[in-house]
Amino acid sequence: MAAAVEMLNISKFYPGVVATDHVSFSVDEGQILGLIGENGAGKSTMMNMLYGMTEPDIGTIKLFGREVRIQSPNMAIKLGIGMVHQHFMLMPNLTVLQNIILGNTPTKNGLIDIKTAKEKINKIMETYDLPVNLDEKIYQLSVGEKQRVEIIKALYREAKILILDEPTAVLTPTETDKLLEVLRQLKEQGVTIIFITHKLREVMAITDKIVVMRKGLVTGTLSTDEARTDSLSDMMVGRKVNLDIPRNDYAPGEKVLEVKGLCALNQRGLPALKGVDLYVRKGEIVGIAGVEGNGQTELIETISGMLRPTAGEIIFKGNDVTTCSVRERREQGMSHIPEDRLKMGSAKECSIRDNMILNRYYQKPYCRAGVLDSRKLLELSEKLCRDFEVKTPNSEYKLGTLSGGNMQKVIFAREMEANPDFLIAAQPTRGVDIGAIESIHHKIVEVRDSGRGVLLVSAELDEILSLSDRILVMYEGEIMAEFKRGEADERTIAEYMTGSKRQTEKGGQD
Amino acid sequence: MRTKDNSRIIASVETVAKQIVLIIIALALATIFLAVSGYEPFAIVEGIWNSLTVDIAGTIRWMTPLALSGLAVCVTYKAEVFNLGVDGQIYMGASAAAAVALFVPESLNQGVSLVFIFLAAMAAGAAFAMIPALMKVYLNTNEIVSTLLLNFVAELFVEYLVTGPLRDPSEGTNLNASEILSENTWLPRLSYFQPSTANVGFYIAVIVMIILAFVFYKTAFGHEIKIVGANPTLARYAGMKPKKTIFQVMALSGMIGGIVGAIEVTAVQHRLLTGFNPDFGMTGIVVTLLANNNPIGVLFSGAFFGAIHNGGINMERLTSVPSAVTDIVTGIIFLMIGAKFVLPRLKKLAAEKKSTGKGGN
Repeated sequence: MAAAVEMLNISKFYPGVVATDHVSFSVDEGQILGLIGENGAGKSTMMNMLYGMTEPDIGTIKLFGREVRIQSPNMAIKLGIGMVHQHFMLMPNLTVLQNIILGNTPTKNGLIDIKTAKEKINKIMETYDLPVNLDEKIYQLSVGEKQRVEIIKALYREAKILILDEPTAVLTPTETDKLLEVLRQLKEQGVTIIFITHKLREVMAITDKIVVMRKGLVTGTLSTDEARTDSLSDMMVGRKVNLDIPRNDYAPGEKVLEVKGLCALNQRGLPALKGVDLYVRKGEIVGIAGVEGNGQTELIETISGMLRPTAGEIIFKGNDVTTCSVRERREQGMSHIPEDRLKMGSAKECSIRDNMILNRYYQKPYCRAGVLDSRKLLELSEKLCRDFEVKTPNSEYKLGTLSGGNMQKVIFAREMEANPDFLIAAQPTRGVDIGAIESIHHKIVEVRDSGRGVLLVSAELDEILSLSDRILVMYEGEIMAEFKRGEADERTIAEYMTGSKRQTEKGGQD
Repeated sequence: MRTKDNSRIIASVETVAKQIVLIIIALALATIFLAVSGYEPFAIVEGIWNSLTVDIAGTIRWMTPLALSGLAVCVTYKAEVFNLGVDGQIYMGASAAAAVALFVPESLNQGVSLVFIFLAAMAAGAAFAMIPALMKVYLNTNEIVSTLLLNFVAELFVEYLVTGPLRDPSEGTNLNASEILSENTWLPRLSYFQPSTANVGFYIAVIVMIILAFVFYKTAFGHEIKIVGANPTLARYAGMKPKKTIFQVMALSGMIGGIVGAIEVTAVQHRLLTGFNPDFGMTGIVVTLLANNNPIGVLFSGAFFGAIHNGGINMERLTSVPSAVTDIVTGIIFLMIGAKFVLPRLKKLAAEKKSTGKGGN
């Protein structure tokens, strides 16, 4: 069988960094390749080069044996490469059909030929078992359905090679299973797939071949039959990884946060929280499990003070803070790791220092009478960079030069420096590598062990299960169930997450 | 640390060099235009040269309002708010300055009356800038449109004043203007540059520049402006109030616009009249863009545009070349700064077409 993609001796240099160093790998036609590695290992750089977002400085790319220069995503698409990004590239206000044909619209006499388009799409949906309602608007779809639309879009543009960038990061276990099934079908039909992920279980389940990258180098190429999970994660990180974090015995103290009957609207003005009651005590981690978009965002934003609730109250350390501003809550000891670190948690164009000092820039001794003490602020951010192992020469560099994991460390450092009594950790490990996950999990458990409260919101059930002392399951703005640590497994929780089951009485009044 | 400092210096030298290349290209194109249209080809270059040598006074006269307008645009631009309404703020500042100047008794000490005049002008400029700020924050109106349209309102307001309530009552005046202000309300001109209208406003511009540089880089407020400009959601998340920041930068910008109006009235014209403002505010946008939105750079790019403007006026006086030709230079610079974003994309598109074309064969 001929190789569908060959990337040979690819090197890419960024100022001061070698992103990929003579990396070579190939995928045969109709194979599924698992590309794994920590963030900053160079996976994304490789895929960006294959998809034409950037060009290699050294090395050649061959598609089906023919050498090509891919200078833009448009070219990549014309060459039969499709990419499903981690963050979907869809227009929320257009219908599924409109999104699929956008940029590749069949016309007849100068008009859009919807009939031909529909026929073609229906055929794709049947062949690969990818059902979606073409007339629905994108914003009405679940995350899993949006992803399906992305895949259909790629196939509609006749992709023979499909790149999936961490496709399961946003999916429920059931949706993940469905996706893996779809990928198998695609493979049977001869589509070549490159699958980027952190999750070794999925790699083991579906791929034919695995390429492991670390620090811009390939540290292992092996066929999936020969691979073992533990050796793969060692290859990724370069050392032994331990995600089983030792923790003190569960001895919760008084309530640090209590939320009663909280209601809030989402951005479109529809009810997103429908009377949520919950509390977090000192010395415990409360995990909120749930499919994204079921009110978690609004819950976090109302607790942190960014969104005004329409009803209900928020009690923090015994005080009603329902009408307090964000800054007042922060000053009382609330910290917040936001779910979207780029959109909410940081400013890429500003320096690391500028991002690091956000809780302190207006306070003594860093600021007197409104005038900043630049030296003290720089010292603070340099110290935090060292303490939290942010990999950067110094903190005057733009935040955007850091990898996702390091950006998250900056945010974590900033929020922990405020010495909070209560921490909201939303998707704390989204898109970061195993090494960083390990250190972030350790830090979260440290917060708990030092007698402070943590509200953990995560789409990763693994994360919720391994860290939480109590687990609340959220569905459509309501708490569906509560479990103590070890009381429920992934399958049980998933049933509540999808709304197919509900605890008759609210538990947890111990 | 040392290497870092070097890289910073290199970066700023690079920026300056790039802007100078922009200027040279603009001048070259304008020269070609002149040659093609049958005018004296080197008129503009000569005009600028003279502005920077024998007639530096004229340059200082024009750079004062231009640099200040550039600073007014720069303040809001730092917070990613686009204030195209500096001209309106200038008109309002000028109106307030003239009204107060006509009102204060002739016996009042010059310094005191000037303080009143400038405070009134700043307040008027800031108040006028509050209209688009309120509309933006509470009605989500695009400030680019609202500020631009309000310029006409302000311009017509001045026309109303000088044809109505503030019109010079003395007979035989066909000019739409107020009375000449009494001398105790005049902002002094620079005696060294007599008889030019170069005035103390130049020092005011330098002081405003220093204050702004200090605010931007050394204060908590400056940090807030930076974060609000970079990512308003982050600002909200961190407990800042982006809406308040928008009001603050618009007010600051309006005050600077008001100062320009007051300077023009009290130092240059000595009365309020229509058409005293050759779109300083609009040129201010190009001034700050050329300066890469750096307040210190604005002073220099203000000087450059001042030299061009002054050169244009001299050119018209001495040759048959109309001064409007200098607008071509400004326009070309504006286009080229815009092209910095456009050109790389066009290049990529062309390369793409070529490559896929080959692939198809």
